[in-house]
Amino acid sequence: MDDLSRQAGPLISPAPSASRRLGRLNLDVRQDLAPWKQAVFVGASLMSGLAISIAILALAGIAPLTLASELAGVLTTENLRGVLIQAAPLILVGLSASLAFRIGFWNLGIEGQMVFGGIFAAAISIYDVGPPTTRLLLMGAAAALGGALWVLLPVFLKIRFRVNEIIATLLLNYVAMYFLFHLLYGAWQDSKTAFPQSSPFRPFERLTDIGYGVNSGLVIAIAGVLAAGWLIHLSRIGFYTRFISANPRMAKIVGVPVQATTVWIIAASGACAGLAGFVNVASQEGRLTQSYANGYVFSGVLIAFLSRNDPIVVAIVGFLIAVLFITGQTLQVFYQIPFTMVQMIEAIIVMAVASSEFLIRHRIRWIR
Amino acid sequence: MSLALQLVGIRKSFDGALALDGASFESQAGEVHALLGENGAGKSSLMNVAAGLYAPDAGSIFIDGVAVSLSGPAAARQHGIGMVHQHFKLVKPFTVAENVLLANRQPHFSSGMRDIRATIEKQVAELKFAIDPDRRIDTMTVAEQQQVEIVKVLVGGVRILILDEPTAVLTDAEAIGLLEIVQRLARSGTAVVLVTHKLHEVKRYADVVTIMRGGKTVARLDPRQSSAAQLTELTVGQTLALPERTPHRGGPTRLNVGALTYTRGDGRSMLNNLSFYVRAGEIYGIAGVSGNGQAELAEALIGAIESSSGEIWLDGVGDISRASQAKRREAAIAAIPADRYAYALAGSLPITDNLAVAQIRSGRYGSLIRLDRSAMRRDAVAAVRDYDVQGVRSINQKASLLSGGNAQKLVIAREFSRAPEVVVAHSPSRGLDARACAAVHQSLIEARERGAAIVLISEDLDEILSLSDRIGVMTRGAIAGEFARPADRQAIGRAMVDHG
Repeated sequence: MDDLSRQAGPLISPAPSASRRLGRLNLDVRQDLAPWKQAVFVGASLMSGLAISIAILALAGIAPLTLASELAGVLTTENLRGVLIQAAPLILVGLSASLAFRIGFWNLGIEGQMVFGGIFAAAISIYDVGPPTTRLLLMGAAAALGGALWVLLPVFLKIRFRVNEIIATLLLNYVAMYFLFHLLYGAWQDSKTAFPQSSPFRPFERLTDIGYGVNSGLVIAIAGVLAAGWLIHLSRIGFYTRFISANPRMAKIVGVPVQATTVWIIAASGACAGLAGFVNVASQEGRLTQSYANGYVFSGVLIAFLSRNDPIVVAIVGFLIAVLFITGQTLQVFYQIPFTMVQMIEAIIVMAVASSEFLIRHRIRWIR
Repeated sequence: MSLALQLVGIRKSFDGALALDGASFESQAGEVHALLGENGAGKSSLMNVAAGLYAPDAGSIFIDGVAVSLSGPAAARQHGIGMVHQHFKLVKPFTVAENVLLANRQPHFSSGMRDIRATIEKQVAELKFAIDPDRRIDTMTVAEQQQVEIVKVLVGGVRILILDEPTAVLTDAEAIGLLEIVQRLARSGTAVVLVTHKLHEVKRYADVVTIMRGGKTVARLDPRQSSAAQLTELTVGQTLALPERTPHRGGPTRLNVGALTYTRGDGRSMLNNLSFYVRAGEIYGIAGVSGNGQAELAEALIGAIESSSGEIWLDGVGDISRASQAKRREAAIAAIPADRYAYALAGSLPITDNLAVAQIRSGRYGSLIRLDRSAMRRDAVAAVRDYDVQGVRSINQKASLLSGGNAQKLVIAREFSRAPEVVVAHSPSRGLDARACAAVHQSLIEARERGAAIVLISEDLDEILSLSDRIGVMTRGAIAGEFARPADRQAIGRAMVDHG
């Protein structure tokens, strides 16, 4: 008890003579906080982040009322379709990042894994593997495998040679990207247009709408959320994962299969990223392009962080980020707001939520 | 003698849990004042208030009879209060002089460094320490680091010196050396507060003792005038009986360690053809001066390190020296490591999970695809009750919120839940108070009665003598001598130092 409820030093230490009048700011480490109170802190921080963002947009010439109507406009049926299409890959990369972070593996190679997901899926299409009825299923499975295999390379390097995965995963993104270019400028180039893209997928190789403006890519994302939620919260692997991230030495001694669990969880992370690549090429692009993975590492890390690596929350946050993306695109087109502004708003919201963490962990009191 | 430090009616709570409940304390210049109490009695909290680290919720602090309000450790330092914490506050890659300089800021760096080095050398000579101001902290032993801590506060001109459990990390000889120095410091006019839960230290070295229980100061007396039983009763609230044991029945050999060798990464040989055996229903005590390979032996047995050669043979299983931890678990080896927070508990996870993890593979808590949370909770509630784990507000609370003794009870509850065949216990009562220590010893005796083979590795000779059926003395990575119960303490002591 004595050792464990440590206190940070005073934030402000007035001179001893003045301290009697002013007292001191005291920081206590909280032992635990009711979930609803945590939600209040996070919610309040989110609101303040949004308020700052609205203020900045107002300075840039967008009146809050205009903004409100634009936001409402995004949620109309027409735009909602776009939001949901955008949400699917965001949710999948969010899952990818949160699975890896849960086991303490900094997977910054999500883009590379998406690239290989797309390449593997496209290979099924290009080499015409299997009958049309199972084609999409096969493409999805190939994409998951591609993402998993590509992430296993840095995993191997880390386990065998202790190579830092942050560097390895990040730099392997470039390797994956240039391999994609190699294919698109070479063997897989569309012979009809001579653009650096693959030939378009056949209709039965595309993720289409399943009705109500919902793209089947979202179905894959939701299935991923449920599977990851089960893996983390209900399965034995999830239980192992918590011990490995809390105290790996202890986990090993009490008989947790540390290495096997780590490898499987990270492979699942890579598979999610691979599926995100598949969703992007098979729904939005309809062919293998150069840029279907661009920018998703940042989004994945951000979504994982905001949802505290919880797969179920990832679904909600992924949707909200998609709303932000689409609103940003609208603002860009109709109000000439640069896209960097959207990224800045994202950053402000992340920082606001990050600061709520401090209030959740500490109690601030003014003593005397 | 004059009143140096006076604490009156101190209250302090942490997130709703009351740690100090109107505690009062006073210490005179020139005396060693022991603050005695169990783990979690509030000793460290009270002294952290005196050292300016915690701001009390209520109560007042007087220094030399003047009421003060401490805004932080720096303010306490200005009033001449210095504290040596249980967990040292030293910057490991820095040298001694740099650490001392960091705590005692000088106006100019280079001239300050010169002055500090001179002061350290003077102080070190006075205390008869052997510390080189230019040595890096991370090359020093724990005892030397503690000396640095003491020098650090003394250089700052401390008149009130608080030592929090200073002997917990020391060997017997080191502890005696330290306590004698502390006594000398008091004789020269310093007010020394010695926070401890060791009775013999109080009886031998303290001039006054204040006893704490449940956040309150319950008694203040002269330790020379009071019996050990009286002191124990005041700290614990009741007297403790020694565990009962039946004579050893001499079962079959259950564990045989043969020619075990381990060479550390830096080339130092830690285990050197180590051999011993343990029978069923027997406690085999391993005594020795710390650093003679005991830690490595414990780690090799539980599988934290892999031995270079030799075998660990288990009755009915075979050689497990190359087996995975999971395999060792299946062979029913229970591990009670010395550093429970590093090797036995995941502090940030709930008590329930920490208890369930050892048996999760057996399928007791659900299949691979579905955990059985209610079975886990049921077992956790039973374990907390059966092993008398105190301070549990909810079985979902984090394990790190338990005090040392209760954390150890939690480890034992988990390790003994499957009726182990072999128990490896390394310093199982280190840092525990009398009651928790008795509970741990009781558990070991019970495991022995059930027929387990127990390896008890401890630097505490009293613990070894009171529990073991046979005792092996370990020096330089091998067993230097074996003694049967009842063993001659003097002979064991000689064996420990003769070869070490």
